[in-house]
Amino acid sequence: MSETIQVVSFKLGSEEYGVDIAQVQEINRMVAVTHVPRAPQFMEGVINLRGQLIPIIDLRARFGMQRAEHSKNTRIVVTEIGTKRVGMVVDSVSEVLRLAVDQIEPAPEMITGVDTEYIRGVGKIEDRLIILLDLAKIITGSEKRELDAADVEAVAA
Amino acid sequence: MPADDFFDRSEFVQYFRDETDELLNSIDADLLRLEQFVDTGTIDAEIVNSLFRALHTIKGSAGMLEFTAVQQVAHKLENVYDLLRKDRMPLTESGVNLLFEGRDVLTALVRAAVSGTETPSGVDEYMERLDAFASVYDSTAQAIEGPRSEPENDEDLTPLDAEQVTAFEAEVARLLAQAQTRQMRAEPAAQEAPAVDVGAAQAAVDALFSAEPSPERPAPFAAAFAQAAPAAPEPPRPAAPVPSAPAASAAAPDSKRAASAKNQTIRVDIERLDLLLNLVGELVINRTRISDIASTLGRELGTNGRAADGLSSLAKDLSESSALLARTTNEIQESIMKVRMVPIGQVFDRFPRMVRDLAKARGKDIHLEIAGAETDLDKTIVDEVGEPLMHLVRNCVDHGIELPGVRETRGKARHGTIKLNAYHEGNQVIVEISDDGGGIDLQRVREKAIRLGIIDEAARLSDREIVELIFTPGFSTADQITDVSGRGVGMDVVKKNILRLKGVFDVDSVQGEGTKFTMKLPLTLAIIQALLVNVAQELYSIPLDSVIESQRIDAADVRTVHGGEVITLRGQVVPLIRIAEFFRLDAPRDPDKVMIVIVGLQGRQVGLVVDSFQGEQEIVIKPLSDVIGRIAGISGATILGNGSISLIIDVHSLVATAHGGGRVARAEFSGV
Repeated sequence: MSETIQVVSFKLGSEEYGVDIAQVQEINRMVAVTHVPRAPQFMEGVINLRGQLIPIIDLRARFGMQRAEHSKNTRIVVTEIGTKRVGMVVDSVSEVLRLAVDQIEPAPEMITGVDTEYIRGVGKIEDRLIILLDLAKIITGSEKRELDAADVEAVAA
Repeated sequence: MPADDFFDRSEFVQYFRDETDELLNSIDADLLRLEQFVDTGTIDAEIVNSLFRALHTIKGSAGMLEFTAVQQVAHKLENVYDLLRKDRMPLTESGVNLLFEGRDVLTALVRAAVSGTETPSGVDEYMERLDAFASVYDSTAQAIEGPRSEPENDEDLTPLDAEQVTAFEAEVARLLAQAQTRQMRAEPAAQEAPAVDVGAAQAAVDALFSAEPSPERPAPFAAAFAQAAPAAPEPPRPAAPVPSAPAASAAAPDSKRAASAKNQTIRVDIERLDLLLNLVGELVINRTRISDIASTLGRELGTNGRAADGLSSLAKDLSESSALLARTTNEIQESIMKVRMVPIGQVFDRFPRMVRDLAKARGKDIHLEIAGAETDLDKTIVDEVGEPLMHLVRNCVDHGIELPGVRETRGKARHGTIKLNAYHEGNQVIVEISDDGGGIDLQRVREKAIRLGIIDEAARLSDREIVELIFTPGFSTADQITDVSGRGVGMDVVKKNILRLKGVFDVDSVQGEGTKFTMKLPLTLAIIQALLVNVAQELYSIPLDSVIESQRIDAADVRTVHGGEVITLRGQVVPLIRIAEFFRLDAPRDPDKVMIVIVGLQGRQVGLVVDSFQGEQEIVIKPLSDVIGRIAGISGATILGNGSISLIIDVHSLVATAHGGGRVARAEFSGV
């Protein structure tokens, strides 16, 4: 038996994603999000989580996908990376999976939608493919670029 | 607790730093007073004694921590003061300058010692100069009076040494008290810790002060001391033989009073207070929430007349106890705020010395008058306000006050006056810095602004607008670049820092008569009063300190000037910013009426257009996550009583961004 990791898996559209369970603090149903104007477009806003302000990222928007209407399956996955806490809006949360480390492969170029920059690898479990995300990159990595985009918009306005 | 912690060095070092800071400040103040006597030839003995005591304490504490360099310099300075107070050395200007320099050397050394960095250069050179200076008087004194080891010949010695003993005894009392506290704290691990017999130490000290003079006297103390502080091998050395018993006991009550006064205060890590303040913030949120629930319940039961009597009385109880809770919470909040308050004098203290040095360097004669040093405000604000204040005071010295000759030709006194004043006004602290110098030369400011390309030659500006030009980044009217100011940084930074503290900054200037800078600072930063407004179905909070009034205006009264919307309010033209449009929110304009919050910004008024007003509330400021980054027009958020979030509008950055088009927004985004 090879070494395994535990991941929380969730869906965006038809694709399945996973994040390291150690980085997931909790999973909540969708709540009212306070919109933050002039923030990067993938920023959904902020929520009050037991007295704490948590910024919320729409993961679809983050990956440049079409935003989806929220449904009863929509969840906020609250993650903790270092001292930063961020909630991510996903279409639905599937389950907690155990992945064998030797079943994880580097991200292929062909993955649709998501920039390979945010991907740690792709895990295989039976016939399913789980795209493992690099959360730190998602919340910091190319935020700058998004901000620059907001910037151009601000100048144009 | 491991045995090593018994003598927690870092704690001692911090204590040393805090204590020495205070002493160095007092040395500065005393030196400034001493300097007044240079011309008169007589000396106020009390000042010299106070200086001597301060140095003595520094020397003793530095010795305990083995900060040898600090100890050496303090010791040499102490010798000079000793010569002064024994009238063996005349008070000269060069002497005072040397002592001022010594204070600075000591400050640098203390800093280096505390931070563990290298000893600053020039210390040896300074000590040599000091030695050379002192030796002239020291040797004459010895030649006349004989060797100093025979103090019986020196009538002056006895009363002065009583002072020394007082200081010494106070120091010992302090150390003993410290040792005692530490012993109590270390109790569980005491078996492993080196045994400290506080009682024996006390007995040794008592013996020291009651026994007849004898050469062995310091010995029992030294032993006790070495026990009390194992890591500090060098016992403070009584600089001179101990005086006779009556003198010592006469001095004792004073020192005991001093010791007990000291025990009335404790030093607390600011982080602990911050934590407490955060918790109170949560408490305030929950208190508001409970009040909301109580009043909703009361209302519901009121409309539903058939509610059982038991339930009604329960609701009444709830609302009573929630009112009580509100009162207690308010009191806790106020108390913690008060604990965080420190007098602004902490900042003012550094200016007398600075003004003296700068004035000398510039050949100016300047009196600094300080009032309201005891005015309290939040520690964070006191810490932040130091820098801007320093810029302003420097500015007054450098640009404000004229040279003595110039002042005379203008019919003014040769010496200029700078006044620093602080006082409370409502929920704010006002700090004023004024000088009776030349005032701001509007013509020169204008010419300079044209030359720098800040304004167009044809620009028609009011006097007020011209004065405002000095806050433009890169603007400085100094004819030449000096080491004091005039580097073109300063006024804009000052203004920015004060605005960041949610303060208001104003300048008044009358040409030929002087300039007055006024800053209005909030008492605290964490909890503020805000006006809640609705914009596009969201609740926004506008800090009340910038709100002047709210107005409901007919849509027809809104005019357009140069493409911007304005209203006329009591004869004044007030530009409007529609918050929904600024934030690019989807909100239709009301065709009939416009709800406007008038905010004040450095004497200018701007109207913020909102959908409706929701009343005032006390809110706890929480920063937005840095994942979001800085957003123009938003300074943070707050959680309201019902758990919903309201974003706090940053009036300054909102107005600046709206007026500067996209430029300001870009600057702020790229700063992320």
